[in-house]
Amino acid sequence: MGSPESNSIIGKAVLRREDDRLLRGYGCFIDDVPEPAGTLHLVFVMSPYAHARILALKTDAARAVEGVVDVLTGADFAGVVKPMAPDYAQPGYQVVGRPVIALGRVRFVGELVAVVVATSRNLAEDAAELVELECEPLPALVDAHLALQPGAIKLHEEASDNVLFRSIFKTPGFDAALAGADHVVRDRFHSQRLAAVSMEPRGCLAVHDRGRDGLTFWSGTQIPHIARTALAELLDWDEERLRVIAPDVGGGFGMKAYLYPEEVVAAALARRYQGAVKWIGDRREDLLTSNQGRDYDYDMAMGFERDGTLVALQARIVCNIGAYPTFPLGASVEAGGAALYMPGPYRLRHFAFDTCAVATNLCPTGAYRGVAAPVSAFATEALMDKAAHELGMDPAEIRLRNMLRDEEFPYVNVLGIQYREGTYERCLRRALEASGYEEYRRRQPAGRLAGGKYRGIGIACIIEHTGQGASRYRARGILRIPGFDSAQVKVEPNGKAVAYVSHTTQGQGHLTAFAQIVAEGLGIAITDVTVVEGDTAQGPYGTGTFASRAAVTGGGAVLRASAVVADKLRRLAAHALEASPADIELSQNYAHITGVPQLRVSIRDLAATAYSMSAGELPPGENYGLEATDYYDPPYPSITNAVHVVQVAIDALTGLVDIERYVVVHDSGRIINPPIVEGQIQGGIMQGLGSVLYEAIRHDAEGQPLQASLMDYLLPTMADAPDIEILHQETWAADTAGGFKGVGEGGTIGAVPAIALAIADALRASGARVTELPLRPDKIIALLEGVDGSTHREA
Amino acid sequence: MATDKIPVRITVNGRRYERSVEPRMLLADFLRSELRLTGTHVGCAQGSCGACTVLINGRTGRSCLAFAVQLEGAEIRTVESLAPQGPLNAIQQAYHEAHALQCGFCTPGFLMVTTQLLADNPDPTDAEIRAALAGNLCRCTGYVNIVRAVKLAASRLREAASAAGSAAP
Repeated sequence: MGSPESNSIIGKAVLRREDDRLLRGYGCFIDDVPEPAGTLHLVFVMSPYAHARILALKTDAARAVEGVVDVLTGADFAGVVKPMAPDYAQPGYQVVGRPVIALGRVRFVGELVAVVVATSRNLAEDAAELVELECEPLPALVDAHLALQPGAIKLHEEASDNVLFRSIFKTPGFDAALAGADHVVRDRFHSQRLAAVSMEPRGCLAVHDRGRDGLTFWSGTQIPHIARTALAELLDWDEERLRVIAPDVGGGFGMKAYLYPEEVVAAALARRYQGAVKWIGDRREDLLTSNQGRDYDYDMAMGFERDGTLVALQARIVCNIGAYPTFPLGASVEAGGAALYMPGPYRLRHFAFDTCAVATNLCPTGAYRGVAAPVSAFATEALMDKAAHELGMDPAEIRLRNMLRDEEFPYVNVLGIQYREGTYERCLRRALEASGYEEYRRRQPAGRLAGGKYRGIGIACIIEHTGQGASRYRARGILRIPGFDSAQVKVEPNGKAVAYVSHTTQGQGHLTAFAQIVAEGLGIAITDVTVVEGDTAQGPYGTGTFASRAAVTGGGAVLRASAVVADKLRRLAAHALEASPADIELSQNYAHITGVPQLRVSIRDLAATAYSMSAGELPPGENYGLEATDYYDPPYPSITNAVHVVQVAIDALTGLVDIERYVVVHDSGRIINPPIVEGQIQGGIMQGLGSVLYEAIRHDAEGQPLQASLMDYLLPTMADAPDIEILHQETWAADTAGGFKGVGEGGTIGAVPAIALAIADALRASGARVTELPLRPDKIIALLEGVDGSTHREA
Repeated sequence: MATDKIPVRITVNGRRYERSVEPRMLLADFLRSELRLTGTHVGCAQGSCGACTVLINGRTGRSCLAFAVQLEGAEIRTVESLAPQGPLNAIQQAYHEAHALQCGFCTPGFLMVTTQLLADNPDPTDAEIRAALAGNLCRCTGYVNIVRAVKLAASRLREAASAAGSAAP
């Protein structure tokens, strides 16, 4: 476990290698990539209707604008670009394809109906305003429950109804178990639609090489390799002619782990015009067309024994996934995840779910930080609290009763997923102690109201599935995700190391964290290690960065490839020093005999030997070169755990929520870089906070979006950010290379239930039930006054 | 015509530029595409996010809310003026040490507002920092490290100022 002390850099708070150029303003985001001379610019015309038949598209006036090269519609792409159909025909799925530009019918406000190609963005925008769209409006189906009804308008001809994914599961004997439970709590929960709102909108630059019929495709994507494969498939192009490069990316959060129609159109047009084509979306387009998420309804029941032991859990989940399944993760990522992530840190033997993804005339959805796990945790933790309240137990007590204990690991849960190790009870006890929970309860006034504020405390005990590999995506029927990642680690002739990794970063610090792993593995200074990511022409193939996977799949591949190179360095050194490889240590850019540091040879000299640049000899049987490539597919998801405890004070007059204290105890496996891990938790918590207190994508009954800017869609600001006390618990994963686990989404998964339940606790005495997000001031006032029609007062 | 150009003279980071631009060209686009100073980022083009913040005649302003032609004769400072070469300045260094940036897209805007804040108020409280920076959105960091970075920068700048003061003859 670990390397000699002098090498030990994994686990250290190394300052980020990424920062210098970003701080100077020398970053290169997609809109900063130098444009070749003659680059054409795209502006898309978007449907103003949520559902309509296209009768005519008049483009002549637009075409006449100076600088416009062409105006193209769906028909122009129908023969050139395949429809984007992410899912395959398998049980539970209906295969639906999306034309990159609408053909005949538009299915959501914002759907692409035409594209203007011009010599400048401004001229393209001028022309786009002149495109005339004639439509016959159709009834807009925006409510998922209505879309489920037999006889509802069918959004897609190739499907038999609007349920694009459904999965039903029930453990044997479930019905009897739930019926036999002493106490059953039920409730319905609703989570509102959200937008990811990365600070950088989407965009791409497609540069065609007319001589080679090749394409260099720059995009702010989280999945460069998958995007390359997909572009090749959709455009009938040889994959080896395509290169996808993700430059600096201003936030992804899952929303950019997708290939979008705008990107496919840009690639197709670069080839058509044999030049460079650029598209940069603005914030208005982002709020209309970038994948949204978390539009869910949960209908839940949990059965308990009288002593609070959880016996059975039942969930009916309806996910409103908008007009099209999104590419490549497909229709099931949210609905499947909602059920998959639901058994948390608790002992559960009886589980029944019926989960589905329903198409509606709204913007398509996809994975957004945490996917459905934050809402599944909200629903289950809320019912834990409800059962505790009704059974006369403290919410902490009921959780301790049901929480898996250390001696129960490895634990195979009711879905057959292995929890190899975890510190659930320990984290809960630490969190309760650190937050002063018992003292808070003692001092809490009976009606919760004092000094004009309602005060409450909420506990969320969560797990996170991280580092999902090939077997998980296959089991889930998500077949366009390879699941493995890879790294090529190379020592150059100058003795410095480069690691090419199949991941790509949107701020997670890979260039530092992966360099730490290489530096430790090879015994060289971290300043002599470079990490290269995000370019399909450099380094081996892999999945990319989303779903809290990079530390596991990327870290694991880097670790294993480094180990192979380290072995070769030891063999070369052993030969040079006339020792056995087992007696060689790598440290501080030298290979030396264990215990005899003065008998040494530099890594640089060994590299010279390996590249035949010196008089040094290769050992017999050894070949030239000093590199290794590893493909790593973790056999199991790495389950992490955390406990969030939140104290809120709600102003009785305004309904404004103030977070007075926020404590999180997390166990995310072996930590590579503590500040990076804390940063992920802090950022994740803020996104969770935003989704509970401020954010909501809203529509009217005709599917017209009601937000056009960030003044309508409210993000939390610095004024809203609580101080967050993070306590680390570090349990190395037994089953992953390096013992790493992921952490990118855990903050969000815990924050949503913890904040919502703190509010529920604060409002409990008023009889209000907190079952719907968001909890804005007007909603809180309505709950207090009992005038909110969508919730029920307790009898 | 929309494409008719108007001459404009603007000083950016101490250097005078003369260009002919369309009246509708935003200051942000002028900096980014005319002058290739791409450190100023456009997050919304609607004035809501603060990523495009620069100093205009010494005060912060949103470069997406001004047209280049409005800034005739003005002096602009962008993030590139903070440390074009050599060591990072005290504010940048503090952001680096406090892990106050992740993707880096919002960072230039934050750096410019921090520059103005600490010039106006060398010893801000947490509440003053939060109020001054509330107009800049960040989706990655959760903000707490940015507050720490500003406090760290403030204390270092005060130290440097008092050291310089005490060293003065």
